[in-house]
Amino acid sequence: MNKKSIFFKDSAFKYLVGGSSLIVVAFFVMIFVMLAVRSYPSIANDPLMIFGSTWDVNSGIYGGIPAILGTLASSAIAVALAVPISLGMSVFFTEYAPRRVRAALSIVIDMLATIPSVIFGIWGLWIVAPLVKTYVQDPIVGSIGFIPLFSGPAYGLSLFLASLVLTFMIVPIISSLTISLLSTTPVELREAMISLGATRWEVVRHVALPFSKLGIFASIILALGRALGETMAVTMVIGNSFVWPFSSISLFSPASTITSKIASELYEAVDVLHVSSLVELGLILLVITLLVNSSARLVITRISRRNASG
Amino acid sequence: MATKLVTERLSAWFGKKQVLKDISIAFEERQVTALVGPSGCGKSTFIRCLNRMHELNPGARVEGKAFLDGIDIYGMDPMDVRRKIGMVFQKPNPFPNMSISDNVVAGIKLSGEKSKADLDAIVERTLKSVGLYDEVKDDLRRSGASLSGGQQQRLCIARALAMEPEVILMDEPTSALDPASTSRIEDLIRKLKSEITVIIITHNVGQAARISDKTAFLYLGELIEYNDTKEFFESPKSPITERYITGRFG
Amino acid sequence: MIVSRRTKEKLIIAALVALTGAAVAPLFWIIGSIVWNGISVMSLEFLTSLPAPFGSSGGGIGNAILGTLIINLFASGLGIPLGILTGIYLAEYAHDSRMGSTVRTIVESLSGVPSLVIGLFAFTLIVLSFRHYTGVAATLALGIMMIPLVAKATEESMRVVSDDLREAGMALGIPKYNITTRIVLSMAKGGVISGSLLAFARISGETAPLLFTALFSFYWPTGIDQPMATLQVLIYNYAISGFADWVAKAWGASLLLVLLVITINVAVRYLGRKKYEGA
Repeated sequence: MNKKSIFFKDSAFKYLVGGSSLIVVAFFVMIFVMLAVRSYPSIANDPLMIFGSTWDVNSGIYGGIPAILGTLASSAIAVALAVPISLGMSVFFTEYAPRRVRAALSIVIDMLATIPSVIFGIWGLWIVAPLVKTYVQDPIVGSIGFIPLFSGPAYGLSLFLASLVLTFMIVPIISSLTISLLSTTPVELREAMISLGATRWEVVRHVALPFSKLGIFASIILALGRALGETMAVTMVIGNSFVWPFSSISLFSPASTITSKIASELYEAVDVLHVSSLVELGLILLVITLLVNSSARLVITRISRRNASG
Repeated sequence: MATKLVTERLSAWFGKKQVLKDISIAFEERQVTALVGPSGCGKSTFIRCLNRMHELNPGARVEGKAFLDGIDIYGMDPMDVRRKIGMVFQKPNPFPNMSISDNVVAGIKLSGEKSKADLDAIVERTLKSVGLYDEVKDDLRRSGASLSGGQQQRLCIARALAMEPEVILMDEPTSALDPASTSRIEDLIRKLKSEITVIIITHNVGQAARISDKTAFLYLGELIEYNDTKEFFESPKSPITERYITGRFG
Repeated sequence: MIVSRRTKEKLIIAALVALTGAAVAPLFWIIGSIVWNGISVMSLEFLTSLPAPFGSSGGGIGNAILGTLIINLFASGLGIPLGILTGIYLAEYAHDSRMGSTVRTIVESLSGVPSLVIGLFAFTLIVLSFRHYTGVAATLALGIMMIPLVAKATEESMRVVSDDLREAGMALGIPKYNITTRIVLSMAKGGVISGSLLAFARISGETAPLLFTALFSFYWPTGIDQPMATLQVLIYNYAISGFADWVAKAWGASLLLVLLVITINVAVRYLGRKKYEGA
C-alpha cells in the first residue's frame, strides 16, 4: 500500500508540473486563436482594408498602414539612437570606469529597466515635450523646415518625441547585454593586442567589439522587439493622429503606432468592424514581434553553439 | 560466513560503450570488501548497478543478474533496493539547507511514508556510532554544510546508516579528506562491519590492505582477481594485479 | 588633421563619458521630476480617499491604490504557482525531451509578447464574450505576464543546485517528488522568491493590458468582476487629461508607483547579496 501511494504521489507530481507547462503552452496558443477569431469580421469584410492608408472611424474605413509604419519608424529611429549611446556606455563601463563608478552604473541601468512605461509617458508628456518643442523642434523647423522630413508645424507631440522616449527605454536592454558580452572577451586576445602597444580604445575597437559583434546584434534585435511592443510611453507622446506619413512626412508631426491606436481607441470602440480592425492590428503586431524575437533567439543559439565548439 | 550480495555476469553500458564485462562476484556478509583498480575501470559503475542508480543515467543499460539475500535486485522496487543498500559518495554531500539532525533522518523523513520512529533517538544513536555526536551535540540545528570535510563525510555515513541498510557501498569515501579524518573513517569502517556488509572502492591500495577482509581488482571493466586480502596482496595470481599493486601503473 | 594617439584616446573617452551621461541622465531626471512634482500632492487624504467629484479639487487616489494591490494579488495567485510549476518541470523533468524543448521555446516566446497583446487576448476572451469590463480579465492578462518571469527564475535557481545533492537523495531511496521539492526547490528558494517579487514589481507598472479590461472607476472596488481603478491607469488618464489638479495627482500616483517598484527591486538586490555573504 505504501509503495503504491509513493508511486501515486510521484506520478501525480509529474502530471502536476507537466500539466502546468501545458497550460502555459495553451495560453500561448489561445492568444493567437482568440486574436484571429476576433479579427475575423474585419478580414471577412475586406481582407485588404487593414493595409489601407486612411483610418476614419466615422466612415468605417480602417486602414492601418500609418499605424504600422509608425510602429516600424519609431522603433527603427529609437534603435538607431540607442545603439551609439548604449555602446558608448558599455565601452566606458568595461574599459574605463573605476570600480565604484561601475557599481553605481549597474544600479542605474537596472533601475532604468524597471521604470514602468507609463512613468516614462508622464515624464515625456509633461517634462520632455515642452523642452523638445522649444529647444529642438522649433529651431530646426525654423532653420531647415523646408526639408519635408523636418517641416512644421511642430506640435509638441510627435513621432520624433516618441522615438526619443523609446530610445531611453531600450538603452538599458542593449547596455546590459553588451556589457556582459564585452567583459567576457577572452583575456588572451586582449593581451595579445595590448602587448602590441595598443591603447585601450584600440583594444576595444579591434578585439572586444568584433568578438562580441554577434551578441550585440542579438541584443539590438531584442531591443527592437521591445520597442515595437511598447505602448504607454509612446501613446502618451506621439499624438495619435493619422497625419503621418501621408499628410506630412515630417518627424515632427503627430503620428500613431499600432499600440497607440489600440490603447486609445479600443475601450470606446463599439462598432464590430472597428473592434475587429483593432484586434487585427494587434494580431499583426504579435506576428511582427514574434518574428523579431525569434530571430534574436536564433542568433543567440548560434553564438552559444559557436562558443561551445570554439 | 553467508553470502549477502551476489552478481552473475553483470554487464553495463553507457550508450554503446560497454563499461562492465560479465562481473560475477559474491560478497560475504558482515565483511569489508575492497574494490581496487585504476580510474575509469568501471568500479563506480559497478556499485551503482548494485543500488540501481546506474540505470538513472540516460542511455544506460544493465544486463546480468544481482541478488541480495537471494532476491533479484532488478525485480525489486528500486527505492526499496536503495534503502537496503546505502551509498556514501566521494565528495561529502550533506544537504546544506538542512540541520545536522535533519540530515541524519532525511532518508526517513522524506521517504514519502509516515514514520512513527523516534527521530531524535535515531539521530543520537547514529551520530554516536560514527563518532560525531560529541563533536556536534551542542547545536544539532546547525546547517549540515557548516562542518569540516571529515565531519561532513561522517554525517553522510550517519545519514546512510539511519536507514538501517544491510549493505553499505562507499565510493572512495576518504579520497577528498585529510589523513586524520581518513584514519577516523577507517576506524569507523572496521567497527561497522560487525553489523553490516561494507563494499568500498578505494584508489589507495594501502587503505584496502588496512581495512578490508577481501579485495577485488577491476581492470578495464573486468574482474581480474578476487581473494582474501592477505593472499591478494602477498601472492597475487594475475600478473596485471601484481603490476597494479606494486604501483607500476595506477 | 594629424592627431596623436593620446589625444585621440582622450577625445574618445570624452565622447564615451558623454554617451554614458546621456544614457544615465534620464533616470535622475525622471526620479527628480516625480519627486519634485509628486511630493506636494502627498497627504493622508490623498492616499486614502476617493476622487472628488469632477471639477472640484481635493479627494485622493485611495481606490486606485487598493485596486492595484487587489489585481496584483490575484494575478500573482495565477502567475506565481503556474510559473513555479513550469520552472520545476523545465529544470527537473524536461531533459532533452521534445515536450521539454517545446515548452521552453514557448515560455521564452511568451516573454516577448507585448503586454498590450496579452491584454488584447484577455479582452477578446472575457470582455467581449461577457460584454463586461472586468478585473478578472486584467488578472488573467497580468498573471500570464508573470509566468515566464517566475518560470525562468525558478528554472535557473534549480539548475544551479549541484547534482551531488540529487544523487544523495536518490541513494537514500527518497522519491523524486520529494527530492525535487524538499531538497532542490528548498535550496532554490531564494531565487524563486526574488523572481516572484520582481515579477510582482513588473506587473505593477504594466498599464496597457488594464486599459480595456479593468478599465477605470471612481469608486471603491466592489468586486473583482467589476471595472476597477488602478494606479497605472489613473496616471495615464489623469496625465493626458490636461486638468491641473488631475495632472498633479498623476504625479503623486507616479511617485507611489515608482516607490513601490524601486523598493521591491532594492529589496531583492539586498536579499541576493545577503545570501552570498551568509553562505
